[in-house]
Amino acid sequence: MVNQKIERLLAQVQKPGRYVGGELNAVMKDPREVDVRFAFCFPDTYEVGMSHLGMKILYSLLNEKAYIWCERVFAPWVDMEQQMRDHGVELFALESGDSLRQFDILGFTLQYELSYSNILNMLELAGIPLRSADRPGLEHLVVAGGPCACNPEPLADFVDLFFLGEGEEVDLEVVDLYRTCKKEGRSKREFLFAAAQIPGVYVPSLYTVTYNDDQTIAAVTPEEGVPAKVTKRLMLDMDRSYFPDKFVVPYIEIVHDRTVAEVFRGCIRGCRFCQAGFIYRPVREKSVEVVNQQCFDLCSNTGYNEISLSSLSTSDYTALHPLLDRLMEWTKEDKTSVSLPSLRVDGFTDELTSKIKTVRKSGLTFAPEAGTQRLRDVINKNVKEDELMKTVNMAFSGGWSTIKLYFMIGLPTETLEDVAGIAELGQKVVNAYYANPDKPKGRGVSVTVSASSFVPKPFTPFQWEPQDTIETLRQKQKHLVRSVTSRKVTCNYHDADTSFMEAVFARGDRRLCAVLEKAHALGCKFDGWNDYFSLSKWREAFAACGVEPEFYANRRRSFDEVLPWDHLDYGIRKEFLIEECQRAYADTTTPNCRESCSACGAACFKGGICHEAR
Amino acid sequence: MRPVRIWFRKVGTARYISHLDLNRCMARAIHRAKIPLWYTQGFNPRAFLTFALPLSLGVAGERESVDIKLDDEGTMTDEEIIARLNEALPDDIPVFAVTEPVMKPGKIAYASYELTLDPEGRDAEETAGRIAALLQSETLVVPKHTKSGFVDFDIRPYLDHVRVFTDNGQVRISAILPAGSTMNVNPTLMLDAVKAELGLDLYAQIRRTDLYDENLKNFA
Repeated sequence: MVNQKIERLLAQVQKPGRYVGGELNAVMKDPREVDVRFAFCFPDTYEVGMSHLGMKILYSLLNEKAYIWCERVFAPWVDMEQQMRDHGVELFALESGDSLRQFDILGFTLQYELSYSNILNMLELAGIPLRSADRPGLEHLVVAGGPCACNPEPLADFVDLFFLGEGEEVDLEVVDLYRTCKKEGRSKREFLFAAAQIPGVYVPSLYTVTYNDDQTIAAVTPEEGVPAKVTKRLMLDMDRSYFPDKFVVPYIEIVHDRTVAEVFRGCIRGCRFCQAGFIYRPVREKSVEVVNQQCFDLCSNTGYNEISLSSLSTSDYTALHPLLDRLMEWTKEDKTSVSLPSLRVDGFTDELTSKIKTVRKSGLTFAPEAGTQRLRDVINKNVKEDELMKTVNMAFSGGWSTIKLYFMIGLPTETLEDVAGIAELGQKVVNAYYANPDKPKGRGVSVTVSASSFVPKPFTPFQWEPQDTIETLRQKQKHLVRSVTSRKVTCNYHDADTSFMEAVFARGDRRLCAVLEKAHALGCKFDGWNDYFSLSKWREAFAACGVEPEFYANRRRSFDEVLPWDHLDYGIRKEFLIEECQRAYADTTTPNCRESCSACGAACFKGGICHEAR
Repeated sequence: MRPVRIWFRKVGTARYISHLDLNRCMARAIHRAKIPLWYTQGFNPRAFLTFALPLSLGVAGERESVDIKLDDEGTMTDEEIIARLNEALPDDIPVFAVTEPVMKPGKIAYASYELTLDPEGRDAEETAGRIAALLQSETLVVPKHTKSGFVDFDIRPYLDHVRVFTDNGQVRISAILPAGSTMNVNPTLMLDAVKAELGLDLYAQIRRTDLYDENLKNFA
């Protein structure tokens, strides 16, 4: 809803459609008739946030309860922020147009570390104190969840409570407790103490962190009566897990403007760099009938004519072909297309491409992640060069001539030969094209090799690894560019500065809270957007706080060091991660969950693939 | 295959979506409403949606229209099309009529607008008087944005059907201005003149109320 005050700003900004709400399926309620007003805050732009599936699920879930009104809030783009500051308009929610200050709970989703500065900026724009300690009352409770909540420490001073794992149940339990505490006039401390007893809820203020002389963590001590370890929550029966039958349909074009159906959670692969591959364990699939029904309902209620079958690796879905057949029974008639967002090199088959006719011929993307077989074994990518060659040949025979390959540089044990291997692999794909007799006639081939920088993440076998310094990453990037010998291979790489900052916050501790606050004061925001990221401002913030970012990004931890997230339990045994790290250094791969169990610990959840017959 | 003209309003939040977004929004709604649309017979089947005249961002439209082609051999009633579309569209884009197209959109030559200006504490009568006087001056040159940049443009010859009055403490301007593909005068040019000549930067809500052909006959 747009009120007069907001409306006046809209004439002055780009894409005003970001700020008005009123979309199809947006949920409107009477604020006087609800007990809890929940602001779901996405610390990025409307287009990015509206593309996020988790937000769609939780928005609908919360609004199913008559006593909750969940509204959406996004970070205003810099032009709108300026207008809001100039005219004294506080950050508002899209549905009601009301200031965030009229809300009980502000829930932030933590999708990437570089959005943290936006969280502080959004709180400030709402006129809400940044630090938990400066918000003594029960109102304006700041909560957060999402993948980055697995190391929430850099936000510990600002966020009152974190949700670990999947939110479908725990979010409602916490809001319900909040409602009771609000009615009974309980204090914030009483509420937080009670919330900390709910499995999956982490209240950082109830834990004290002490440090050793060498700046490493000595201990994390919970208050009396608070669990020493907080275990993530997850949905074990995906068929019964809540999934919305409608999405808010944006007026303006967003990043992923389509129906998204989730086919499973978790990933069988266990690539050693990939946090998602560990924190979402175990793999839990939905059945074909449930996915089909969810796709049908969503398409009927939104009008979208494209379905994306989402997961961490959709070609690993055991019932992919039966699902595609089932979907085809109605999508063809309905002029609706089906797409798969993530295809593994070994998941691309003729049978699949014949079923997904609508895959645009514009380009195919695969992620070998490393240039040599040795390094792919180190990271447990389990993709062989001949598989890649087989796949690209199939693609060339099928009419494709543009291939994009994703890699990482800075992986543990990487040498310059591995870096050059990226360019060589690109060249081999080019050569395969010209050697292929069935290649598209009269067309050249275009191969893009894209290299991002490796960021070690918590709960992965590489959580102890140092990240390459910015200088080393730059040298490797140069080496990659020099190694490319053909104009058919385009090479690009990701900015090392932002990867460095991502590495600092991914494995940071509570001492980064002061740095974040300082960086925010210096104007840091939209750090994930290259135009706005400023390493020099961040360095200024670190210097002002007497904190060395290299301590977090570039230092090798010993296996016995207390890590900032050691008191959080994602079901993965630390010993397993150590074994995996050692296997990486021995160039040894680990079979995927479907082949055999590697006893990572996720079986403790008593469900999913761990308890299926193999 | 039969052509139909769908009449709708674009108000409230929908004022802030661009023409391109409106196009996608309408296409999705038609798909969702299961209106039997006629698709092009090519390799990539597409539906035809033809809007009469795009609206500027931020301007409300009271009598907007889009032409589509139906593949239903006349079986779906107008009432049903209206009901289904209203079920499928956001609240701020209500459909109120379905007709057979009479005029081609290319015939549009004029549009009528209602502007409501907030005098922001000034006396409404006096402000209206100043604006009325300005809009009647001999010439009124404003910078107009064209494909080749800004050019000085005298809007005065086009302001013969303009009335300035007050209503409930607000200044109102009713105007019929050239609109369409040959000549188009955006009502905001009047506001630009008010700002430049009178130093009054007034916030205005603008509604386009109707479209006309060159004889000022309502677009139908």
